[in-house]
Amino acid sequence: MEKRNFWSPYIAGAGIGVALLAAFYAMGWGLAASRAYALVAAVGLKGVSPGYAGSLDYFSGYLKAASPLKDWILFEVFGVLAGALAGAVSSGGFKPRFDGPSGMSTGMRLTTAAAGGILIGFASRLSRGCTSGVALSGGAQLAVSGWIFVIAMFAGGFVVAAVFRRLWS
Amino acid sequence: MTAPLYGYGMFGPDTGLVLAVVIGFFFGLFLERGGLGDPHKLTGVFYLTDFTVPKVMFTAIIVAATGLYLLSDLNLLDMKRVWVVPTYFWPQIVGGAVFGAGFVLSGYCPGTAVAGLATGRLDALVVMAGIAAGSLLFAVLYPYVEGFYSSSAMGLATWQGLLGVNHWVVIAALSAAAAAMFYFMERFESRDR
Repeated sequence: MEKRNFWSPYIAGAGIGVALLAAFYAMGWGLAASRAYALVAAVGLKGVSPGYAGSLDYFSGYLKAASPLKDWILFEVFGVLAGALAGAVSSGGFKPRFDGPSGMSTGMRLTTAAAGGILIGFASRLSRGCTSGVALSGGAQLAVSGWIFVIAMFAGGFVVAAVFRRLWS
Repeated sequence: MTAPLYGYGMFGPDTGLVLAVVIGFFFGLFLERGGLGDPHKLTGVFYLTDFTVPKVMFTAIIVAATGLYLLSDLNLLDMKRVWVVPTYFWPQIVGGAVFGAGFVLSGYCPGTAVAGLATGRLDALVVMAGIAAGSLLFAVLYPYVEGFYSSSAMGLATWQGLLGVNHWVVIAALSAAAAAMFYFMERFESRDR
């Protein structure tokens, strides 16, 4: 693992908490991320095959707007990219590379990245959000949804980590 | 009461989009500076080697929860106009567990993959493509999972509503639990080195 001059996790956490509170106060909803991926997938499918995209009930909510990409969540995720880039560049941490568990072949890493991503995408839709939209935002609202998701996420993660002991450790 | 500002018509959707970029900017900045663009740190908790994820996550939740309910109690924020994440018990349990599995396999989650990409990690881009593909898969399979997806609905359930206690009791209990957890994580990490 590379050693970096990261901030204290408590400072970073407090900063994210204030950003989340700002979203609640200004907009009336919290931070989110996974919905941006579903939105891009829906718009992308519509571009390739409008008929098939229109036949998918689940995407109808995403595609009914006049300009679906003019969406709060997509702009927020763009901000995340810009903010993280500013953080990485200013701290000397920006370096184009292909990261992964040490010793893992590129082919295997491509497989775990893609497979893990597919599981995350599917599970986020089933849960109505991810670590941002359900765990952070729901958790801060003291919503039952946020806390059961967090507990199940750590349980699922620990099981996989126990099965694949050498994956990241 | 004039907040949520957008809900009370204090500004229009275009100003909302500008705020989305600004709020997202700080979210991304704190994610990256906290180390959450690094898949080794992100997965550390699952191998009991690095507890950055729970430290950042629970600190953020408690700070935001305290602010949210303080503003509400002071009549500065109308909680009735805040969109609460609805609870669907079993879908969120199963979804959470599958999500955790995907998190360990890929090394990222949807927000942190964006932070990872911003540090130049191209593997995060593969994960992002996977998340989009998984979302598409869900939409394709939706007719088959719709029954389960809509099952065990509990509405806008909150712990204070479920337990019949004041919200500050819940926040105090969560803060005490987090403080105890942070204490043991710090001790565990310092013993590790």
